[in-house]
Amino acid sequence: MTSTAQELHPAPTLEPGRTILELKGLEKRYPGTHALKPVDLAFKASEIHAIVGENGAGKSTLIKLLTGVMPRTSGDVIWEGKPAALATPHEAMALGINAVHQEVVLCRHLTVAANMFLGEEDSRFGILQQRAMVREAQKIIDDLGFDLPAHVVLGDLTIGQQQLIAAARATVRGTKFLIFDEPTAYLTRKEADQLFTLIRRLKGEGVTIIYISHRMEEVFELADRVSVLRDGTLVGTRNIAETNDAELVKMMINRSIEQVYHKEHFTPGATLLEARNLSGKGFENVSMTVRAGEIVGLYGLIGAGRSEFVTTLYGRHRKSAGQILWEGKQVQVNSEHDAIRLGMALAPESRRDQGLCLNLPVGLNLNLPIYKRISSNLLISSAQEKAEADRQIANLRIKTPTRNALASSLSGGNQQKIVIGKWLAHGAKLFIFDEPTVGVDVGTKAEIYRLFSELLSKGAGIILISSYLPEVYELADTLHVFRRGKLVATHGFHTADHEEILTQALAEKQEKPGGQI
Amino acid sequence: MSTEAIAAERPKRNYNALFGLTLLALLVLLWVILSVATPSFASANNISNLLRQGSMIAILAVGQTFVIITGGIDLSVGAVVGFATVIVAMLINAGVPIFLAILITLLVGVAIGLFHGFGIVKMGLPPFIITLATLTSLRGIGLLMTNGNSISINNDAFQLFSRSSFLGVPNLFWMVILVGIPAYIFLHHSRWGRYLFSVGSNAEASRLSGVNVQRTIYMAYTLSGLCAAFVGVLLASRIGIGNPTQAEGWELQAIASSVIGGTSLFGAVGSVHGPLLGAFILATINNGANLLNVNAFWQRIITGVLIIVIVYFDGLRRRGK
Ligand SMILES: Nc1ncnc2c1ncn2[C@@H]1O[C@H](COP(=O)(O)OP(=O)(O)OP(=O)(O)O)[C@@H](O)[C@H]1O
Ligand SMILES: [Mg+2]
Repeated sequence: MTSTAQELHPAPTLEPGRTILELKGLEKRYPGTHALKPVDLAFKASEIHAIVGENGAGKSTLIKLLTGVMPRTSGDVIWEGKPAALATPHEAMALGINAVHQEVVLCRHLTVAANMFLGEEDSRFGILQQRAMVREAQKIIDDLGFDLPAHVVLGDLTIGQQQLIAAARATVRGTKFLIFDEPTAYLTRKEADQLFTLIRRLKGEGVTIIYISHRMEEVFELADRVSVLRDGTLVGTRNIAETNDAELVKMMINRSIEQVYHKEHFTPGATLLEARNLSGKGFENVSMTVRAGEIVGLYGLIGAGRSEFVTTLYGRHRKSAGQILWEGKQVQVNSEHDAIRLGMALAPESRRDQGLCLNLPVGLNLNLPIYKRISSNLLISSAQEKAEADRQIANLRIKTPTRNALASSLSGGNQQKIVIGKWLAHGAKLFIFDEPTVGVDVGTKAEIYRLFSELLSKGAGIILISSYLPEVYELADTLHVFRRGKLVATHGFHTADHEEILTQALAEKQEKPGGQI
Repeated sequence: MSTEAIAAERPKRNYNALFGLTLLALLVLLWVILSVATPSFASANNISNLLRQGSMIAILAVGQTFVIITGGIDLSVGAVVGFATVIVAMLINAGVPIFLAILITLLVGVAIGLFHGFGIVKMGLPPFIITLATLTSLRGIGLLMTNGNSISINNDAFQLFSRSSFLGVPNLFWMVILVGIPAYIFLHHSRWGRYLFSVGSNAEASRLSGVNVQRTIYMAYTLSGLCAAFVGVLLASRIGIGNPTQAEGWELQAIASSVIGGTSLFGAVGSVHGPLLGAFILATINNGANLLNVNAFWQRIITGVLIIVIVYFDGLRRRGK
């Protein structure tokens, strides 16, 4: 297909350079979408091969075909020289192909240990060896250097921690080929580092890795080669040493981006919201103000209490102490309803659990907060309903066949755009964005940041939560650092460096959290 | 947008209508077959009879559908129907004006629905449990109130209503239209309808988007209770008695009609025309089987098989195969 993809010489006898998996004209059509146009690509044994591309480019689709989650439309997959049908996940696993999917697909009501051994339980005479399994799982987890308990219910862990468990699970199954689909989207830097260590170790043990990410610096840090997908087509493959950021972005979106972090500084206006010594579940004694025209960034590790803090502001949880002032007046926010009436809007952290009605149309999801506005008394104005939905779809370049497609049929990043997009037409004064760009491609990120500026220029204030330091660092006028439920430091725009902020977020010493969850 | 995208729009948009048309075709097909198979089927008398039979389940199925769309279930509707016949019969026999008696009965239905909402929202009970509890206790309360006897209604005007026709169509069928049209507008063209779907799909996401989830749930069960009480009034008018053991098993027929009409028991999928057609398909099968002297046991088996077949094909099409 491309020159670089074909320059692989016939299999050398040397183990590492050998081709382990080859795609020949691999193609996938969904009803209404040609997600993957015939792709030719070869993966070498024990390489880390990154795949990058815009939201909806077909990355996850490729993974689903390789792991037997979805049937392919046409084409061949050659595994160690022999054609493989890959019709079921089981078949893929039997060959040694495993994946850590973009959305965690584990059983949230079972324990960590039960999840690790799901389908391969240790049982003697039909009796589950539960204790042995917990012990074994704990050993694997400790061995990988993850600081997590094996006996707790998976759903009690944060999404990032669940992602680590998913990774740990994939390593225990005689894996030869392991795929990570945006594994760091929900991880903090510290967890990401643990994961990178794991990935490098696996490579050292001869495992081939596909690594999908929207974060260029990770690609350059980890990968040996990188392939770019655009609109379901393989644009090219490069050795990592022979390419750079700008070239990859250009290949991905077919244009160049001068500047991702678009930051305009406005003179802050009146105070919109003030929290005074606010405490609640997961956070303690937090005080801060948000003024019109400014972005207040909240940085910290996942689980530091940032999400709990904002959901309490938003009336989802009860505060246990302290006061909330809105435009100078003390208010009781007892429900989301109260918050929205005051003029707040929240784009939550987890798009699957909190952000989207997955089995409903894109248009309905986008309009959900504004139905009151676009209906006269009883009836919805269907012209307005369509217009509003189409406006946001165009605004954020949401890749969907129509506004009537189900949200579940969109790629991860495009789903994320709905979570944000639904509030843009709402006319709120204070926007709370909790990890707004998780899984969003670089072009759209730039677009979203530009929209932030637009909101600010109209006199809105923004609370931006992000576990991705560059994002809050480049965008926040005021940056608060959270650690274990407390606000531990506050900085102005660029008044501290990454190093300092990271140290504050991580704490000087890591105490062992001995089953603290 | 590419041409592909435009081509994809058609089937999606018309999916609901298309499924409705398929059901309608099935209904017409049944009618044609039965008209050929048995001469008495197409008689004016039998058709009115069939419409009357189907109408009451159809109205129940509409209320039931609202509840199922939110991801719930209302097992109490059959018992509410029976209970409502008792209330309306007692009130009329006590000399309360018909209009007022009906209004009070409907309010009783609303109250039962609110109680369900309360149990689910405030007490955190699963819908299955709270409505199951109402099912058995309402039958009990009705039996206590009547000492286990039927109450015959001594008011001819009340009974005449369900026996007469308007423009050649039985009044009971007009009642389906009276309920169906507002229900359609409510579900598909009002924001409350959208909220039913969104709550059924993801209550947490709806809540965070400013949807009042609790009120939406109250609303669904209240509407279901209201529909059931209304059917109770119609049934009392039709059979001329109040009896708490009437309408045994109608909740299951209502659920079956709804499901045949394309409602998903997982919530967030459903329409108004679907359950209406579903109810008349079931009524036609029962009616036809009677005329053909098919053993009543077989009728039940056929209904069961039909539910499986229709829902299976509906599921296949939804997955786009
Ligand atoms: N189940 C599905 N039904 C219909 N279309 C689908 C389905 N899954 C994915 N698609 C479409 O296929 C295309 C490719 O999706 P895919 O998930 O592979 O993108 P991606 O590259 O992983 O994007 P992201 O970076 O946002 O995760 C998208 O246009 C998406 O809408
Ligand atoms: Mg993806």
